[in-house]
Amino acid sequence: MEAVLKLENVSKKIGKKTIIDNLSLSVQPGEVFGFLGPNGAGKTTTIRMIVGLMKITQGDIAICGKSIQKDFEEAVSHIGAIVENPEMYKHLTGYQNLVQYARMHKGVSKERINEVIQSVGLTNRINEKVKTYSLGMRQRLGLAQCLLHEPKLLILDEPTNGLDPAGIREIRDQLRTLTKEKGMSVIVSSHLLSEMEMMCDRIAIIQNGRLVDVQNVKDFLDTDQLAFVVETGPLDNSVTWLKEDWGVEILENGFSVLARKEEIPALLKRLIDSGVDLYGAKQVSKSLEDRFLEITDMAGGQING
Amino acid sequence: MVNLIINEWVKHFRKAGTYVMIGLILLVVIGVGALEKYEEIKNPTFNPDWKEELQQQIADDKKFLEENKNDNIDSMTERNIAINEYRLENNLPPSPEKNIWSFVYDANMAVELAGLFTIIIAAGIVASEFSGGTIKLLLVRPISRSKILLSKYITVVLYGVFYLAIIYVFSCILGAILFGMPNSDVPHLAYVDGQVVERNMGIYLIGLYLLNSINLLMIATMAFMISAVFRNSSLALGISLFLFFIGSSVTYILSSYFDWVKYILFANTDLSVYTDGGPMVDSMTLGFSITMLIIYFIAFHALAFGIFKKRDVSA
Ligand SMILES: Nc1ncnc2c1ncn2[C@@H]1O[C@H](COP(=O)(O)OP(=O)(O)OP(=O)(O)O)[C@@H](O)[C@H]1O
Ligand SMILES: [Mg+2]
Repeated sequence: MEAVLKLENVSKKIGKKTIIDNLSLSVQPGEVFGFLGPNGAGKTTTIRMIVGLMKITQGDIAICGKSIQKDFEEAVSHIGAIVENPEMYKHLTGYQNLVQYARMHKGVSKERINEVIQSVGLTNRINEKVKTYSLGMRQRLGLAQCLLHEPKLLILDEPTNGLDPAGIREIRDQLRTLTKEKGMSVIVSSHLLSEMEMMCDRIAIIQNGRLVDVQNVKDFLDTDQLAFVVETGPLDNSVTWLKEDWGVEILENGFSVLARKEEIPALLKRLIDSGVDLYGAKQVSKSLEDRFLEITDMAGGQING
Repeated sequence: MVNLIINEWVKHFRKAGTYVMIGLILLVVIGVGALEKYEEIKNPTFNPDWKEELQQQIADDKKFLEENKNDNIDSMTERNIAINEYRLENNLPPSPEKNIWSFVYDANMAVELAGLFTIIIAAGIVASEFSGGTIKLLLVRPISRSKILLSKYITVVLYGVFYLAIIYVFSCILGAILFGMPNSDVPHLAYVDGQVVERNMGIYLIGLYLLNSINLLMIATMAFMISAVFRNSSLALGISLFLFFIGSSVTYILSSYFDWVKYILFANTDLSVYTDGGPMVDSMTLGFSITMLIIYFIAFHALAFGIFKKRDVSA
């Protein structure tokens, strides 16, 4: 299958500063692909180049096989995007805003506009001016705007910024429907791993403008070794066997452990037998988070200059 | 393209400011009408002795011609003499009672105001998309940046024409109501190649409005260029309004000292000098001015489009 999006050795320099350094990756049809990286990593810059808002210093980007540099109109017609905050015309209503964008694409009917409004849950407020909208409502309108023309590639820069938990969940469900039923591909960016894990099929970790790694979330969850956090009362002398037999890491209210799923009952049983109070055990994809934190911690929590 | 222009048009017509502008223009025209009506009632202007007066004027002008030798003033005086003689021969009083046409002529003062508003729109139409952040969603469409910018420029020009049309039509209507149609035909008398010719007044006035708006068009184009290049509407507005108000007078003052002044935009924007009076610098011709205007026009657009197309958008 032809990749929906292909970045080949893309670099971006502004002045003397290299903001994106030789980035290559591709996104397949029906895939949710995440850009994960700390503030200033270059996620937004990469997205800006993909949608043609910024010129590419070196390399090329193709959408459905069309170069964004040489064949802009054709390439960008496959894209629906929110770049950073979706700013709309504040003095127009939500509906009037959507009509503006509909006029710029071929074949977006009134019915289609209404259908999209329905799907982002704005039907009741769509005829109010955008300046009266909350941040979350603007995000929803932004999403509506990029779905109008049924693009093959949806690009959402921090789509959950400002959404309430219900809204985040809705977006997640919607992305699933769009990708699984309509075969749309989606790129989302975020600096929150937990969020990305739930939405994405693959995650690219970006730092300092370089691609550090591309992780397959599902593989990751399916590996033998899973990470669990076990919440307990005082461990007392169980610490010894936990460390020796299981290699756990002691936390404030318990410990974390890497183990296979079927080993967990035995571990928990022995804990109870040892008289430790057990409050809960949950699975976390520890090593992905570790990896991410490892990367972000390299700069000691500082934004890289 | 048409859709893009509709979009721009809609964006502006949903703003309260647009209606304030239209309202102000109508108000100025009404104001002029009210003043003139008041004047007319207070002291009726028609002068039954106009023939004697004209003869006196012609005699004075001829004497003046003999005493003075100055190309510019001479051609103007010759023109006045010719037109006045034509009036005597054809029994056309110079200032007949006020009528719809004289009012439309006077109302062309409001063109300055239309110019002002067109410049305001030109200065904001690109910059406001950047300051509002809406430029991102506007450019992520299957439409080239040039087309987007062109649609905005066309919108600016359409707004200018729209305001002019409002002034023209509204002053026609108001003039007809306040002063009525002229009793007899009042043609406009033009002096072309040593001949006096009669012109239809309505058409002459439309021409006058358009000629007046060349200055306006050039400054609006400049405002548009600054707006597209610097993405800053205050800067565009500031520079353009400054030049709009003082450009011509400063150029005029400079013109008596330097010859190169003829290359300045404002030395060339008033094309009516070639039919009435004379240009700022003697060596200038109509062809020269038109060439200069075209050069400026192309330069403004080359800058605006060249930079807008290449720019990295990170608003
Ligand atoms: N127009 C610009 N000129 C100079 N540097 C820029 C410009 N735009 C971005 N940068 C720099 O490029 C780097 C990447 O910025 P970018 O906005 O892509 O980060 P990001 O990954 O989206 O971060 P965040 O999570 O904060 O949104 C930053 O160091 C930023 O300072
Ligand atoms: Mg960002």
